[in-house]
Amino acid sequence: MGNSCRQIGIVLPLGGIMRDLGTLLIMSGFAGAGLTLWLGLAWAPSVSIDAFEAPISQKIFYWHVPSAWAAMIAFTLLFIGSLAWFIKRKEWGWNLHVASSEASLAFGLMAVWSGCIWGAAEWGVPWDWTDIRLNTFALLTLLAIFLVLGRKSQPDGIETRDTFATFGIYGFVLVPITYLATRFWQIRHPGPVVATSEGSLNSDMGMVLALGAISFTMLVIGHTICGIRLTKMESRLIEIQDIMDKEGI
Amino acid sequence: MPDLLTASGVVIKRGRNTVLNGFDFNLKGGEVVVLAGENGCGKSTVIEACAGLIDLEEGSIKTGKQIIRDSEGRHGRPDSPFGLCLQSDCVMGDELVKERIDDVAALCGKSFDSQSLLNQWDLGHRSQDRIASLSKGQRRKVAVLCGVLPSAIADDPTVILLDEPDAGLDEASVSRLSGLVRDIADGGHGILIASHNSEIIACADRVITFDDSIVETAPSDGVKWKINSEPVKKSNIGNRLDRRTLGSLSQNIIPGMLVIGALLALSDPTQFDSKMQIGAILAPALAAGLCGEPISARLTESRSGDWWRSMKTIPPNALLHVLVGCALLTTLACTLFGEPDYTLIAVGGGLGMITASVILVIHQATLRLQRPNALMIRLLTPALILPWAILVDRLA
Repeated sequence: MGNSCRQIGIVLPLGGIMRDLGTLLIMSGFAGAGLTLWLGLAWAPSVSIDAFEAPISQKIFYWHVPSAWAAMIAFTLLFIGSLAWFIKRKEWGWNLHVASSEASLAFGLMAVWSGCIWGAAEWGVPWDWTDIRLNTFALLTLLAIFLVLGRKSQPDGIETRDTFATFGIYGFVLVPITYLATRFWQIRHPGPVVATSEGSLNSDMGMVLALGAISFTMLVIGHTICGIRLTKMESRLIEIQDIMDKEGI
Repeated sequence: MPDLLTASGVVIKRGRNTVLNGFDFNLKGGEVVVLAGENGCGKSTVIEACAGLIDLEEGSIKTGKQIIRDSEGRHGRPDSPFGLCLQSDCVMGDELVKERIDDVAALCGKSFDSQSLLNQWDLGHRSQDRIASLSKGQRRKVAVLCGVLPSAIADDPTVILLDEPDAGLDEASVSRLSGLVRDIADGGHGILIASHNSEIIACADRVITFDDSIVETAPSDGVKWKINSEPVKKSNIGNRLDRRTLGSLSQNIIPGMLVIGALLALSDPTQFDSKMQIGAILAPALAAGLCGEPISARLTESRSGDWWRSMKTIPPNALLHVLVGCALLTTLACTLFGEPDYTLIAVGGGLGMITASVILVIHQATLRLQRPNALMIRLLTPALILPWAILVDRLA
């Protein structure tokens, strides 16, 4: 399980490149996210005061939508990693599962909290238990919490990996439901405004939103690359500990 | 004699280790095979794999042409019932001694005079006692009897899997067991035993020691062991256990009552609009269902759940009691927050039972983990609030 110590010499140069790429993406992503926030608050036009109950709070949209987008990317990576481990027993699959579950948690929480803040201002309540989009997205985030905390509670092994990979695979069922929820069962969450004939997004608003989406995509990919590297290092550490245990050091 | 059990190229990993690597094995009818070897060599893993309890990385395990488990994830039930006694006793403390023996026989579709069998094994005076009140040795006897019983009542040759059956038994019982093992083999059944005990090893036809050596021995013959039995229908063990332990009352009904109490204390039912009213009426059933199925927690006791899982049958459960309990809670809530409505009562009962079933499935999905109790399964339960909220919305 994991890379053997003999492979360390081969893995390190590639690992170094990936670390640099991961760090670069995270730093660029942070810069882009910061710029998105500034542009969203200071430059992007406000929405019509007739269209919303709390028009100023709509600005949180520049944070909420990109973080939800990044969370969806992370959930997709989680599904790919879980599938690769469960079916092919690929070590990279498990590393991807671990890293993307943590990314899913981070970005999922960002989207849920920012959504609650906007909901409290716009609807008067932070949550609606009957809205499919809100609840399925929250469930995905709870699944990510379950995977991250649950994995830390179990010793690493084939049983642990199989069980959590199964949850990662079945949990992905919620992703298309979440995506389609506002198209088929719109209850309270606003419908799509991008890539739809009914969309009414101002071009300046769209530009800031696109910058946010690109920045958050860089952030989630960078986060995942760094997470994979960290997981590999943890596996290597456990292997070294096992060798030390066997040799009675 | 035909092969009753065949393991081909079995590779099993547990935790970070490969326990079995390309293990091949066959068990013929009328044969006693003992797995011997030092601790950690894989004896119990072989027994549990043959019972279909462990996922295989490679290879397959079959009885006749029926796959028990293979590396593709296929698993099935043996053509005839088989006997299993794991290292843990696999019994729930709330089961009665005689009742447990009768339930194992009922799984094979038979009933017999279990009292006389218990008398032979010096357990007759404890037949109506809860297993929790027995000594460790007595509990082990019950577990061993449950393991070997299918061979005495089955019509066809069957497989008996015993993992350290002698552990905790006194010398007289071990002698009785080793004699019984030969008697079982004489009936054409195949027995696979993991043991260090010299008396058990002495009654083997073959001893596998896990260092690539197989020792052929020539044990004495036994006398065919057969108990007269009658066909019988299976009974609902879970509901019977729940009536005895009142598990659904304490685990489901009382939390539902507390929800009703909290709603009455914090709100004025006369001010409820129709949505709030239906929400309040269905909330106790939801809370009761979220507390889970009451027998499943007891199945974690001494790996009782694993035993039921290996039998490829639905484990004991009291979902019917949860259904009735939730319907009663909804009736009470209807009376307090509105008017009795048969539709709402039926919905409440169904909601509670479905919710408890989902919790049960999530619980079952995590049992393979080394520390299932350390897991925060409740984090996933909000998944069940959405159906309740949609139901309330639609009914209002």
